[in-house]
Amino acid sequence: MDLSVFVQLLLPGLTTGCVYALVALGFVLCANVSGVVNFAQGEYVMLGGVIGASLLAQGMPLAAAIAGATAAGALLGALQERLTLAPVRAAPDFIQITITLGVAVVLRGVALIAFGKDPLSMPGFSGDGVFEVAGAVLPVQSLWVWGASAALLAAVFLFLMHSDAGRAVRACAINRQAARLMGVDAERLTLLVFALAGASAALAGVVVTPIVLANWDAGIAYGLKGFVGAILGNFRSPVVALAGGLGIGVLESFAAGYVSSGYKDAIVYGVLLAYLLARGGVFVFGRAALLSR
Amino acid sequence: MKRRVAIGAFLVLALAYPLVLRGSYPLGIGIITGALAAGTVGFVLLLGYAHQLALGQAGFCMVGGYASAILCVQHKWDPLLALVVGAVAAMLLAWAIAGPILKLRGFVLAMASLALHLILVVVALEASFTGGALGTYGLPKFALLGVPLSSDLAYYYVVWTIVLAFVVIGLAIDGSRIGRALKAIAASETAALSAGIDIRRYKVQMFVLSAGMASVCGSLAVHYLRAMDPNVFGFAFSLNFITAVIVGGLETVWGGVVGAALVTGLRELLRGLSLPLWEGVIMGALTVLVLIAFRRGFVGFLAALYDRMAGGEAPARVLVSEPDTAALAPRGKPAELVLAGVSRAFGNLRAVSNVGFSVAAGSITALIGPNGAGKTTLFNLVCGYEPLDAGSVSYDGQRIEQRLPNQIAALGIGRTFQNLQLFGNLSVLDNVMCGRHRFVEREAANRERARAALAFVGLRNAEALAPGALAFGHQRLVEMARALALEPRLLLLDEPASGLNDAETERLAELVLRIAALGVTVLLVEHDMRLVMGLADHLVVMHHGEKLADGAPDDVRREPAVIDAYLGIEEHAAA
Repeated sequence: MDLSVFVQLLLPGLTTGCVYALVALGFVLCANVSGVVNFAQGEYVMLGGVIGASLLAQGMPLAAAIAGATAAGALLGALQERLTLAPVRAAPDFIQITITLGVAVVLRGVALIAFGKDPLSMPGFSGDGVFEVAGAVLPVQSLWVWGASAALLAAVFLFLMHSDAGRAVRACAINRQAARLMGVDAERLTLLVFALAGASAALAGVVVTPIVLANWDAGIAYGLKGFVGAILGNFRSPVVALAGGLGIGVLESFAAGYVSSGYKDAIVYGVLLAYLLARGGVFVFGRAALLSR
Repeated sequence: MKRRVAIGAFLVLALAYPLVLRGSYPLGIGIITGALAAGTVGFVLLLGYAHQLALGQAGFCMVGGYASAILCVQHKWDPLLALVVGAVAAMLLAWAIAGPILKLRGFVLAMASLALHLILVVVALEASFTGGALGTYGLPKFALLGVPLSSDLAYYYVVWTIVLAFVVIGLAIDGSRIGRALKAIAASETAALSAGIDIRRYKVQMFVLSAGMASVCGSLAVHYLRAMDPNVFGFAFSLNFITAVIVGGLETVWGGVVGAALVTGLRELLRGLSLPLWEGVIMGALTVLVLIAFRRGFVGFLAALYDRMAGGEAPARVLVSEPDTAALAPRGKPAELVLAGVSRAFGNLRAVSNVGFSVAAGSITALIGPNGAGKTTLFNLVCGYEPLDAGSVSYDGQRIEQRLPNQIAALGIGRTFQNLQLFGNLSVLDNVMCGRHRFVEREAANRERARAALAFVGLRNAEALAPGALAFGHQRLVEMARALALEPRLLLLDEPASGLNDAETERLAELVLRIAALGVTVLLVEHDMRLVMGLADHLVVMHHGEKLADGAPDDVRREPAVIDAYLGIEEHAAA
């Protein structure tokens, strides 16, 4: 195998994988605190991208555009939780999940109306240059993606391990009912986590836009691929979810490079489907009462 | 009556529409609505009745669309034959993946079915036999028995005849035990299993049926569009299915038809207003709004309106009737249950460890022990909800530890749950009729038996109510009636007295005695020692997952180990 080709596929795979990993993390956090797997998770990546790109195009400074997109993600995440999930907390899972699907559709639609059908682009944060690693040529923006993702992950882990709210999130992950009985304010925590997941997804969306463009209908793919990561960790382990997200990015890149770029999505989804089918029935998450066989 | 009104309205509207609104544009809308309705009628049964969130229905539309396009254009097949072949192919595909895919729930099922659809889209784009991104053009007009339908009006009536046929199929399922079973699955899979309902089987059946109908939807649509490409049935089309069924109404087959009309009408309205881009926002917002504010959807709204205008009967005031012991005839032989070496661990926790005892035929045996002793786990092991790590369970000499919960129920083992498990979306009578599921009889016969079970527990007047409208103690009785409707030879009661007041507990004791007198072996888990001592002729004591003692109540209560572990503490606490 040609090493430079391998690296040329591996590193871009890791770049998109960072986005999937952040989406996966958002899935895990929201699911553990609220009991709802948020179908709209991938849409926040898309929104971050289109909002950031258009703010920049309107003449805003880069830093302001990034901050604006991230804040929009946080705000929309919080709004989604307050407006559509808080009123139906006691409703069956089926209702809550389907509502998040409806919200995803609304977010896509809003993006289509507000930002149009054409993909939006954004210049690299420090120019559109490239650099070379082991014979592979990468856009400099990749460094921004890796750096921003690493910083975000570090922040999330610091939050989880060293703050009261973070400890409460972890307690919910172990046993939501017990955490509530111990005085965890689940309402406030749910709002916080949705805002956090929205913000981190949106930030990921902005930093990756100079490489992949931002498009109103990209949310499903982000959601579905991030979902793979989340499910590998059984919606429990943030670390496995991250690794899974990165792995999907790499798999996708290899599939495009070594098999066929046309079929790369089919391969990734095929792997997802095969994995789900093989492990069918053993997933324990959400409020679904699960039988063990 | 309501059904006749609905069918009448459907026929009048479908027949009159193209005669009143003339012109090719309204006719086209009528055809597209019909094509969509053909798919959504099947989808109601899957999404609306059984609450299975499948997000890849458009994938099955693609199968039908491509079957019609490829077979009719490239191979000059008869369109009707191509439509049927497409539907069969879609159903085979659905059947092939249904087993594993439907084990997945909620969000996972949605993702898996979406992934399947997106794979089909990629294949359609990349493969050559589909015509790739350009698709396949020049489909002939639809033909019946080799005679092409020259006018769109004729095609309109063909499409709606197919819709009518699908509605009739849907209504037949709705009115049968399968329709009830699907709604039971939506409310509580655990309880559905305990009523002997094979949840896997019905989910697969509805998945396959809805796939076939979605494929027909695809075929009908492409014969009108005269072209098929990978974008015709994209993600947005799956969303149309979901929006149609939710906004139209999840509870009845009509919801699919009305929803298809609403979705198509709304889209055309937006196009007319030059706001086509708003389609997604409005459809999504409508879906969310209906789910939050009015879950019964448009048809549910109409049904409520009809009920109000028809004036409906006021529910009987007195809900409790005198229990009617004669309502149920004594059955054959009660069954015997023998457990040997039963063990089950969760990680390091040995929830049940090497437990063995017999429940004599015709006895009332009580299983007691402190919280966390493993009593409910043992129930779940006997009823097949948990796999055994080791040991055996014999029911009248027949080994049952490898069987599934619904198979065990179908053998005549009824159970109730510590946390009440009723089907909130079904009436009290329908809840009890679910217990009749294993008896494939005429509905009228099953209804009579279910009424008898209700009379037996003393709830004769409550049958039309929703279970949520009853007091807690009466809800417990509904659950008992459902278990009795199964005609069990062994009945397992998990803390039947919890949450009951003294008077209710007394009536419960009497009920248990009357059940035993029918020829039913009773095994109950209970904390109320007065109840246990008064009822049981045999006691089994569990502690830390192990059996501590086993014998006649008066012997067991004198055993020092039992007093230490359980009874002593209890009696001190009571003193």
